[in-house]
Amino acid sequence: MKKVITGDHAVAIGAKLCRVEVVPAYPITPQTLIIEHIADFINDGELDAKFLTMESEHSVMSAAAAASAAGARVFTATSSQGLAFMHEMLYATAPFRLPVVMPDASRTLAGPPGIWCEYNDSMGARDSGWLQLYVEDNQEALDMVIQSFRIAEDKRVLLPVMPCLDGFVLTHTVEPVDVPEQEKVDSFLPSYKPDIILDPARPAMIGAFMPAEYIMELRRQTAGAVESSKEVIQEINGKFAKEFGRDYGGLIDTYRMDDADIALITMGTVTSTSREVVDELRQKGEKAGLIKLRFFRPFPSEELRKAVAQVSALGVFDRSVSYHGGGQVYNEVRSALFGMTIPVINHLAGLGGRDVTKEQIMKMFELTRKAAKGEKVNQINWHGTRGETV
Amino acid sequence: MYEVRFHGRGGQGAVMAAQTLAEAAVNEGNYAVAFPFFGAERRGAPVLAFTRIDSKKIFSKTQVYNPDCVVVLDDSLLDTIDVVSGLKPEGIAVINSKEKPEDIDLGKTINTATVDAVSIALEILKAPITNTAILGAFAKATGIIKIESLEESIKRKFGEKLGEKTGEKNALAARTAYEKTVMGKSRGIKKLEARKQWLPTYQEMPVGGSLIESKTDAGLIGPGSFIENKVSGWATYRPLRDREKCVMCLLCWFYCPEGTIHRISNKGDLMTNYDYCKGCGVCANECPVDAIKMVRARA
Ligand code: SF4
Ligand code: SF4
Repeated sequence: MKKVITGDHAVAIGAKLCRVEVVPAYPITPQTLIIEHIADFINDGELDAKFLTMESEHSVMSAAAAASAAGARVFTATSSQGLAFMHEMLYATAPFRLPVVMPDASRTLAGPPGIWCEYNDSMGARDSGWLQLYVEDNQEALDMVIQSFRIAEDKRVLLPVMPCLDGFVLTHTVEPVDVPEQEKVDSFLPSYKPDIILDPARPAMIGAFMPAEYIMELRRQTAGAVESSKEVIQEINGKFAKEFGRDYGGLIDTYRMDDADIALITMGTVTSTSREVVDELRQKGEKAGLIKLRFFRPFPSEELRKAVAQVSALGVFDRSVSYHGGGQVYNEVRSALFGMTIPVINHLAGLGGRDVTKEQIMKMFELTRKAAKGEKVNQINWHGTRGETV
Repeated sequence: MYEVRFHGRGGQGAVMAAQTLAEAAVNEGNYAVAFPFFGAERRGAPVLAFTRIDSKKIFSKTQVYNPDCVVVLDDSLLDTIDVVSGLKPEGIAVINSKEKPEDIDLGKTINTATVDAVSIALEILKAPITNTAILGAFAKATGIIKIESLEESIKRKFGEKLGEKTGEKNALAARTAYEKTVMGKSRGIKKLEARKQWLPTYQEMPVGGSLIESKTDAGLIGPGSFIENKVSGWATYRPLRDREKCVMCLLCWFYCPEGTIHRISNKGDLMTNYDYCKGCGVCANECPVDAIKMVRARA
């Protein structure tokens, strides 16, 4: 059934279709609509779940971890300051292998205070063990909630997943979304059956104190789970495509990359706009291509190396800055491509929610083209920033 | 470089002993470092402390695996831990014990010094804190540090923390132990098997480290495994409850950190399980009517 709905609404419907059982929540702009829709579903008897109104995000994640440890399918959503506030508890859910799914409505993390899209909130959680993905439109937002639970609960993974959707650009934008049928989702996503849960009838220790003799093994195990999630993500993408007819490519997606000479790597909604820019460039005879980075954790190094093997220069878009210079994606990409001789340059744009225009994306390709020709260009380029000469 | 490993239990002052030794060594013109290694921090649990002494700056930040000397503050540790593991062949063990070295079985015959530090501490300090007395024995047994330097450091360090009088008493405990230390060689009869510990590889580690009670080669793991962790050996003291005085307020039951006090009837009668009582005295301290007395657990 097609519905014209916001990204937040789509995410809430996704959670409902997954028959989530516990939803601890605290509202924060621009995530609030997700939580309100879920509350409505429960109130209207459309969803049989326990809704917990918590007093802070720290408590939200504590309750989420506990409910997950007790065997429930747990869903929540957050954004920006809220994500920062639960930071400590993020580090508990992953190593203890609690498959919570929590969309993040990407929003700038103060200071300065702001409510618009930037990835500096989720980037700060990249080393917590959560899997992280970034979606391009409302359909993908809904579909990825469903896939996230399937990935998170896979026995080879058992990790929490954070699908990130651009604050306002998706959360508050309506567009047509094909809402899958409940029966189809039910057969795609079996109910969650963990091996060990907190149950007085069968005492268990989950999240116990560990001396130095054990923590490294647990770290190694968690790192291994993140690594093996790659295969699972790919597999589940394939199954989803077969069932629902929408193939997102898995870890990365590519657009007109077959004979591309220059390419741009993007995340989130900028990918969407860039598709049109690539088409325009192609019409002008420019062999431009696009790589959509879907998962940031796990980071698809191998897939990227393959995707860029033929290009003569690569631009990397970042919607947040790591204050030593470039953005986080840029640095991960360069690390992934180590040993390859392709020039890689960084394009920072859209921080704090500034609109990323087609002109800016055109400019990103133009600079990448210069780099391909061996002309001198800056490594790090700020687009749409006053005082910059790009 | 001279390396010392201290074996004690939480609350016995092993760390303070290691630090005091380091300070005394520095005052003699050497370079020294001292550092602790705690397990789960808990009064009565085995702890390690290390001191390194050299004539030049020490860079090594690792634990000590081949000490020149091991110092044992609590001889109940001898039953569960191979305290002389890694000790250099010419090294020496300094042990707080009533026994003569010849009567102590360390699983090998090595240079050993003993001193009854508990009795000295009880007599001089009125508390079973043996860390200063054992340092006196260390000075006598090794000759690595002058007893005068130790006395000076003890007075300063303990005096600063606990008052001048206590500092002096502790220095006296060290001097007394220095004079009473008996030197000899240990026996080497018992077979010391390394205590089995559950050490899974990362592949064997249960997912997320989550455990249900299960049996391994190294004993029980998971909830309920603490039943195997008898701590009675730690206790210097033991609580004795006077049923006549007791008013059944249950404060001792509430405060016991080991959960060792049980209610055995609906009337609220209490029983202490001495297998798991570490003798910390918290119950006696909390009792509003002084119904609990702490008495010496071991002769
Ligand atoms: S001394 Fe008292 S408080 Fe301490 S462990 Fe024993 S019973 Fe518990
Ligand atoms: S605290 Fe004292 S009075 Fe209260 S129950 Fe324990 S022994 Fe009895």
